[in-house]
Order: sequence, then structure tokens, then C-alpha cells
Amino acid sequence: MRRFSCWLLFFLFMAPWAPCSAASAADAPARIISLAPNITEILFALGLGDRIAGVTNFCDYPEEAKRKPKIGGMSNPSLEAVVVLRPDVVVLTTDGNPKEFEEKLRSMNIRTYVFTARRLSELPQGIRELGSALGVKEKADHLAASIRSSLDSYGRSHTAAKGKKALFIVWPEPLIAAGAGTVIDDSLTLLGVENLAARTGIAYPKYSIEEILRHPPDVIIIGRGMDSKDVENISRGLLHRLKILPAVREGRVYYVGDGLFRLGPRTLQGIAELIGVMGRTP
Amino acid sequence: MSSPYRQMILELGDVGFSYSRQDAFVTKLSFSVGEGEFIGLLGANGSGKSTILKLCCGILKPSAGFLNLWDKPFSAYHNKDRAKLISYLPQTLDMNVPFTVKELVSMGLYPYDILPEMTADEALGLVGLSDKADSHITELSGGEKRRTFIAMTLLQGAGLILLDEPLANLDIRYQIELVRLLRRLRDERNISVVMALHDINIALRFEKVMLIKNGKVFGMGSPAEALTEGAIKETFGIGVKIMRQPDGKAYITYEENDNG
Amino acid sequence: MTPRLMIMTLIFFLAVGLSLFIGPTNINPFSLDETSREILFAIRAPRVVVAVLMGMALGASGAVLQGILRNPLADPYILGISSGASLTAALGIISGISFLGTFTIPVLAFAGAIATGSLVGMLGWQRRGLWPERLLLAGVGLSFLCSALLMLLMSVSRDEGLRRATLWIFGDLSMSEWPRIPYGMAFVFGGMIIAGLRARALNALMLGDEFAHSLGFTPHRERVLLFVAVGLMTAASVSLGGMIGFIGLLVPHMARFFVGSDSRFLMPASALGGGALLCVADLIGRSILPPMELPSGVITAIIGAPYFLFLLRRKNVLSV
Repeated sequence: MRRFSCWLLFFLFMAPWAPCSAASAADAPARIISLAPNITEILFALGLGDRIAGVTNFCDYPEEAKRKPKIGGMSNPSLEAVVVLRPDVVVLTTDGNPKEFEEKLRSMNIRTYVFTARRLSELPQGIRELGSALGVKEKADHLAASIRSSLDSYGRSHTAAKGKKALFIVWPEPLIAAGAGTVIDDSLTLLGVENLAARTGIAYPKYSIEEILRHPPDVIIIGRGMDSKDVENISRGLLHRLKILPAVREGRVYYVGDGLFRLGPRTLQGIAELIGVMGRTP
Repeated sequence: MSSPYRQMILELGDVGFSYSRQDAFVTKLSFSVGEGEFIGLLGANGSGKSTILKLCCGILKPSAGFLNLWDKPFSAYHNKDRAKLISYLPQTLDMNVPFTVKELVSMGLYPYDILPEMTADEALGLVGLSDKADSHITELSGGEKRRTFIAMTLLQGAGLILLDEPLANLDIRYQIELVRLLRRLRDERNISVVMALHDINIALRFEKVMLIKNGKVFGMGSPAEALTEGAIKETFGIGVKIMRQPDGKAYITYEENDNG
Repeated sequence: MTPRLMIMTLIFFLAVGLSLFIGPTNINPFSLDETSREILFAIRAPRVVVAVLMGMALGASGAVLQGILRNPLADPYILGISSGASLTAALGIISGISFLGTFTIPVLAFAGAIATGSLVGMLGWQRRGLWPERLLLAGVGLSFLCSALLMLLMSVSRDEGLRRATLWIFGDLSMSEWPRIPYGMAFVFGGMIIAGLRARALNALMLGDEFAHSLGFTPHRERVLLFVAVGLMTAASVSLGGMIGFIGLLVPHMARFFVGSDSRFLMPASALGGGALLCVADLIGRSILPPMELPSGVITAIIGAPYFLFLLRRKNVLSV
């Protein structure tokens, strides 16, 4: 009992200091928690993989991320799981994490970093700022510069796609398309492709099948989500309903990976896939 | 009063019934109802009046004895055919459904595939509710509600009407009007009526009463025969005095300092 | 009574007609090009039929259920049928299985609905009969259990599957297609025929079991039949297009303003009203912000609720 009291006293006195010591290691945090899959991917790309102390349940890329301790979902991360991992910094995104969670962490004197980039054009700057906050400025600048130049060259060189109309389907049943303000829309726009769903003004609108028939796209792109292996099966019903579309009749329906769903280094692969798809479109 | 040549409509012989396995609630219950009879069923709370009425119409099934309807065992009738012969009005009816009076009265036709001659309007006329045909039952007074249901049973065409405490919660005027109405209908249409009631003063004006105690018939006959001071004390557990008005009609009174 | 029912029938067919020819782009039935024909016959018509079937099933089930449970607040979803269906459908969506192709989710939902419906029936069964209060409580209890399991499933599932499951649960008519319709129609009409044939018994049951008995009905048997009818209609409706609120609860009350309480008129009136309302709601949902679609369930409540409140103020509403 006495020993227990001693420990209790010790903790009572020591506990308030602990976060301060973490905060002092601001420049090169040793234990980073990522609260979003795209952030995890960026951290790995910046060579911070060893320092990642925890990730969300959805962080499945690269392979190594799957073996990191899990702290819950994006919209509902577990505060306890985060605290237990004694992070030096928690990296959050404005795209999917609750703001209250960040406030809560800060009120507990846990250092946070909020990644605010949500659009394609904001990615290089976002990476640069994240890198300098985590003490890997040089690497981040390098990664940002290469992304920037890739984006520039994509924007310039791929005239084949210019003016084509595309519909990017995020989920076939019920039909959800990628609309305005999404990375997918930015990528299509970068390539000069007209994203039909952008005129809804909504990020992920429930899209009208009638309207697809009325305003036929030249190409239909269906994203393979992160978790669903048989999007192709589920799409069958939709494509049957769209059977009179030239794009469907002539086989211009393409499935692409999940690169465009996450704003990070792999977004470039996603854009490359789009270029491939558009290149096959007469 | 009852004539030996009268057609028996309902006959119960040694009927037994119990709600739980251990206690027999009704034992050796025997009585009969003849055509055109008007019987008041009296007994203290919990004596078994409602149970007996429910046994009579088949809601409860007797565990012993026999029950005949028009000289045939009760079980020989199809539900719909039985409904054309006997109708039962429970003490409480869920009347929060805004049926119109006419809709409700027309339900009396449900057992029929070929419509009988009487119409809902005629039935309403018989109970004096013609002007309320399109009112909602929820808007009626207690007495009007009862009359609506009686119109329904008339349309149902049953020769025997069983009523469980139809006078409960009615003002004295409506109680007397309802009894008069039922008696008039009996006279005009030769139907039989058995009604449970608890007002001894009203029962004293009946032609025939049946006193119930502990699920058995304690006494049956004209009020003069069955409703004696002794019988009332025995069944209701309270001493009363039966008085007579100058015209000979009986009424009861009780003493302030009754010690029995 | 009957003239009013005829007016409702007219309104119903008007709503169906409008829904077929009006949309993000109006279709002139007398000059159809290939695209319009495809939109009309392959996209819009099945959708309108599904809206009609669902609306009718929910409206009629609501009218029946409020009667057998003697409760004006009963709706077909209170029996847990929809929660059970949502649970199995969400399981299917989140796990991504597709053993029956496009039929997978509807079949899973139907199975879930029938399973919960039967379970509620079993729990509501005592002493050789179905008891309204027991049914209601069993339904509410099971409904909570299924919702809790659904929440559990959703909180451990990936955000993407979750969003899709949510969309499905809150009603989606856009995926309606002809092959599913005959099955849905069989169950909806089957239930409606059973309920229609027992409409007199339902009237009598509303006034109490003893009263129903006196009129020559067997209350418990009638309740079972009517409960089966409600179960079939609700299960078919949920499996056709998810959960659409409001109709089952309030359309019977609205129908009562027009045709009164007699189930023989109230049931068809609720069915017609439900069908027309869902048709119009879906028409609005897919037409006002093209090419985006708004969920029909939301529109149903948005246009239905104020009208109901208007009726409530104008007429003297009575319970059940």
C-alpha cells in the first residue's frame, strides 16, 4: 500500500512534466502518430517509417504500415490508444478527422500537426510544411519538387485527353460519382478532361443515371475502393443499365486503383493511370 | 314467470371453468335462457358475472359440462353461424377509433354473406340514433355509445344478446333509458337479453334475476323470489332492507349503523 | 366513401404518370428517340414501379399495423423488420459479398426482414395467440438490438463501406431494375390481398378481441394473418429500396381524413396515398438538382410532414 502511494505521488508530480519534455523535442519527433492513410503514405515517403508509432485501421500502404499499432478509425480514433502510444506528435488531416479530437489532444498537451492540403495543387506545399515541422525539411522539399514537376509535365504534355468528357464513379450502387473539389476532379481537370459530375458542385454526389444517358461521357472510370475486391461484380448492374451508352458499348469503361482517393505520393500513380485510360480513348 | 313451453336458446349444464390449474373458478354451473327472456345477472365484484357471460358466448371454453345453443352443442357451430345467434358486448370497448356510427353499426353484418333484410339505418332508427349516423363514435355520450352497439347487435340479428355491465358509468337517466330500450326491443323482436348489472334497485324491476356467488348460481327467479334480504346479504355481504313504495314497487335501503 | 377513394385513385395515377414523363429532362411519350426510350423504359419505369410498390406496401402495412396493435404511433418499422433488414443488408454491403449478383443485397435484406419478423412473432406469441402489447414490445426491443448491432458493425467497418451502407439504408430507388420487381410485387400484392380479405376482421379487432369474437372472428388467428401480411409487405418494401420513413406512420392518418376509419377503405387509400407520395417524392428528389439526386426518404418527409400538420390543424384528428 505504501509503495503504491509512493508511485502515485511520483506520477502526480511527474505527469505534468512529461508532455513538456516531448514538446521540447519538437524538431525531430521520435514518435509520430498518423490519423489518415494519405498522411501515413507521405510519412513513409519522407523516410519517417521507423518513427511512426501508430496509424489508423485504414492505413494499408505501404505493407509496413499494416504492422504498425492501430489507433482506430479516421472519424473515430481512440484517444486512449493514442495516449498509450506516448506520441511526440500526432498528425491529423482536415479531410476526415474530427476537429474536436485535435483540440482534445492539444488540451492534453500532446503536440499536433494538422495537414490542411486537400486539393492536388496544395499537395507539394503541404508536404513541404509537414516535412519542416517534422524535421525532415530537405527530404520534403525534394519530394514536393518532384511532385510539382510531375504535375506540371502531366498538365502540359497530355493533349490526347483534352476536351474529353469523363465520369469517375466512386461507387456503382448506389451510384456515387466524384464531383467538384475532389482530388479526382483536380486530376481530371489537370489533364484537360471535363468531369461531368463537377457541375453538381458537390464532392461526392449521388448521380442520376438518367443524366448519364442524357449527357453521355466519352469514358467511364470506376475506382476500385480501398476495401472492395469485386467492384467489377457490383458494377455489372449499373453498366447493364447504361448499355446504350457509346462508352459502354465500345468498351470505354475502365477500372483504376485507389491512388486518386488519397492525396499523397501515390496520387501521381493515379494520374498516370488516368493518362493511360484517356490514351486508350479515341 | 318462465313458461315451460318456451324455446330454450341457451342451456348450460354443470359447466366448470378455471383460469389457473389449481382453482376452479366456475363449478357445476347450470341454467338456461329461454326465448324472449330478460335476465339480470347480479353478484358482488369478482363473483364471476363476466366469466359466465364469456362462457355463454364462447370467448372462454368450459373445462367441464355442456353448453347448448338452440339444442345443439356450442362446438357444432361455425363461428360465423354462432355470431348470427348470439352476440356479446364487453364492458369496455376500445372506442378510440373514430369509426362513424353507421360504420360501426354496419359491422353487425360481418357474419353474413347474404345481407339480411334490416339495414343499418333501420337499426339506428330502432335505437333512436338516426340523426347521429355520420357522427364519430368518439364524439358520442356514454349512453349513445351503448345504443350504437345495441343497434349493431340488432343488425347482427342474434336472438340472444349478452351485455356485460352496459349500465356502468352511465347517468341514472341513461341507465333507465337503456333498460327501457332493451325491454322494448325484446317485446318487439322477441330477442332474449342477459345483462350483468350491479344496481340492485334496477334489478328489482327486472322480470327475472340470477344471483351469482363464487361462480355458482345462488338463486334464480323473479326479484321477489331471488332478491330477498337474506340472499343479498349472502351474496353481497351487506345487510339491506327491501322497502315497498305505495304502488308496491320494491327498493332497497340500508341502515347507517349497519353492523352486519 | 367510394367517390373519395376514386379521387385518390385518380391522384395516384396522375402521380405515376407525372413521375414517368417528368424528370431531370421531360420526356414526350409521342416522340421518343433511342435515349428517351431507354430512359423511360429501362431507368424511369422500373423506378416508378418500385416507388409505387414500396409506397403502397408501407402505407397499407401502416394502416393494418395501427389497427392490430391498436396504437396510432405504430409503423411497419416499429416491428424491427426494417432494422433486421438493414443489418443483413449492411453486412452484405460492408463485407462486399455478391453471391447472387445484383440480387445479393435485396435477398439478404428480405431474409433479414423475414427472420426478424418471425422472431418478433415468436416473442409476441403466448397462450396460443399473438398479443398486441407483446408484439409491440418485442418489436421495439428487437429493433433496438438490431440497430445496436448495425451501429457496432458500422463503427468497426471502413468509412467507405459505411457511407454506402448508410445510403442504402436511407432508401435508394435509383438502382431499381425490372428483374427484381416481379418478386417484390408478388410479396407486396400477396400481403395486400391477405390484408384486404381480412379487412372486416381488422375493423372488429380495432374495437377489442371480445367484440371481434362476438362478430364471428377468431381474434388470434386474424392477428396472425394480418401480421404475416404486414411482414411480407414490409420485408418486400425494405428489400426493394431500403428504408423510407414517414409513409408507414403518417400516410394512414392522412388517408383517414379522406375515407374514414373503415379498413376496407382505409387500407386501399393508404396504399394509394403511400404510392403516390413516394412517387412524387422520388420525382422531386431526382429532378430538382440534376444531375445530383436527393434521397427520396428525405423528400417524402419534407413534403409529407407539413401537409400532415396542416391536416392536423384543420381537422380534428382522432387517435388510431
